[in-house]
Amino acid sequence: MLTIEGLKKGYEGNEILKGISIDVNKGDVISIIGPSGSGKTTLLRTITTLEAADGGHITFAGVDKDFEKLNGKDINTIRRNVGFVFQNYNLFNNKTALQNITEGLIVARKVKKSEAEKIALDALERVGLSDRKNHYPSQLSGGQQQRVGIARAIALNPEVIFFDEPTSALDPELVGEVLKVMQDLANSGTTMVVVTHQMSFARDVSNRVIFMADGHIVEQGDPKKIFENPSEERTKKFLTDILANV
Amino acid sequence: MSLNTDFMVKVAQTAIQGVPVTLQIVLVALLISLPIGVLFALIRIYRIKGLELIVKFYVSLVRGTPIIAQILIVYSAFPSLLNMMIGKAAFSINPIYYAYIVFTLNSIATLTEVFRSALQTVDKGQMEAGLMVGMQPRQAFWRIILPQALISALPNIANATLYLIKNSSLAFIMSVKDITAIAKTEAAFNYNFLEAYLVVWVYYLIICYGAEIIFNLLERYFSKYRRSAKRTTGFNWNPFSIKQPKLVVKTDLAESERTNNAHN
Ligand SMILES: Nc1ncnc2c1ncn2[C@@H]1O[C@H](COP(=O)(O)OP(=O)(O)O)[C@@H](O)[C@H]1O
Ligand SMILES: [Mg+2]
Repeated sequence: MLTIEGLKKGYEGNEILKGISIDVNKGDVISIIGPSGSGKTTLLRTITTLEAADGGHITFAGVDKDFEKLNGKDINTIRRNVGFVFQNYNLFNNKTALQNITEGLIVARKVKKSEAEKIALDALERVGLSDRKNHYPSQLSGGQQQRVGIARAIALNPEVIFFDEPTSALDPELVGEVLKVMQDLANSGTTMVVVTHQMSFARDVSNRVIFMADGHIVEQGDPKKIFENPSEERTKKFLTDILANV
Repeated sequence: MSLNTDFMVKVAQTAIQGVPVTLQIVLVALLISLPIGVLFALIRIYRIKGLELIVKFYVSLVRGTPIIAQILIVYSAFPSLLNMMIGKAAFSINPIYYAYIVFTLNSIATLTEVFRSALQTVDKGQMEAGLMVGMQPRQAFWRIILPQALISALPNIANATLYLIKNSSLAFIMSVKDITAIAKTEAAFNYNFLEAYLVVWVYYLIICYGAEIIFNLLERYFSKYRRSAKRTTGFNWNPFSIKQPKLVVKTDLAESERTNNAHN
């Protein structure tokens, strides 16, 4: 459904992504793990066209092109078929929880307002926040804001939703409620690509784990295999270090 | 020294005719310079080639010169310029148009800087979130970025407006019949300068105060989404309720605490 081949990206001569290839199938829940600075955020941002890639090929939603050759129309197509959940939520501060969700539907998808509100309420229901629909982001806890962020993404019914460390900015006691919502999404068949430091999520919820380091995919595969019997020394070391810290 | 109160009432009555003139100058200058200020701010933020330099130059030109010099230049340059274009009719133009020009040009520079910093306070994640729900950059700008920038700019817009109101009193130099000009004329006839100027003083005070109230209401209304603005920075603009927070000083407790701490 989504295929990335040889994706490259650098900043000011520093090569950050050194040729990444990923295959995402419908219903996949893929966890991307790896040390900080390894290029995970950059990877999500280049795939979703928030950042221009320097090289590589994308096959997705009818677009089948090299990244450099994407035109405005392709970029629109890609953006309309992905959802993005940000590390720091990025809810529209001047909109209520409900409006955060209806904005995209009304403005980008041209859905009628009443219809958009119905969809938005459904989405809020799914993340357990229908009673907060008229709250502004500043009136919500971090966990609630992130759940609205997730509702905003699912309401648009994208082919795949990207999550960039969705729980990293949260106080520890709020991580659970967000992970629970993500788990429900995964169970309902939503295609998800999740950058995470939550090893429990990677191990128990996803069907594939990708370990990234230094702009490369070092190893990927079944979570059980990666966690119990990694083939690469780097993976082993990373997992030992991170699991020692929980 | 005693004040001639009868004269003050008389000046108040004639000078009130200048109030609409002052308000007109302020409103025209504001309404034109607000959108242009946003535009110029965007030119600077997005570093539009060529234009950026012009805007930068313009802003420093205005900010680096006293308004009185700007007034004198516009007032001496424009009529002769117009004279070349439309002939003698140029000299029968209502001087208030020159006031519009000067104060608009001046406000544009101020507001460009106001909007530039306000737009920069909006996190770039807001735009990215807009793009990721399928909006065009333009749509995200109008619906998400600009409203937030305007609200965070409100206190500075209010400030600029107050300066504008006060600066507009210099319009008399261009023989505009505003509050100041009328009062000056009255005073010159009767040599009661202090009385006339006290009236002027009160009028400006009232106008500025009114503007402040309007801006505070706007801020309150539009900041409803900002929790902190409601609770902590709620400026009490009503001078009739100057309440000091009651300081309950429990001296004995404070004393015992101090000794406690000393023991620790
Ligand atoms: N906008 C940018 N400009 C320059 N360097 C960047 C930028 N964004 C990320 N980087 C660099 O790219 C590298 C990878 O960053 P990132 O993708 O955020 O890693 P991760 O998400 O895995 O922690 C880091 O070294 C970071 O400093
Ligand atoms: Mg990151």
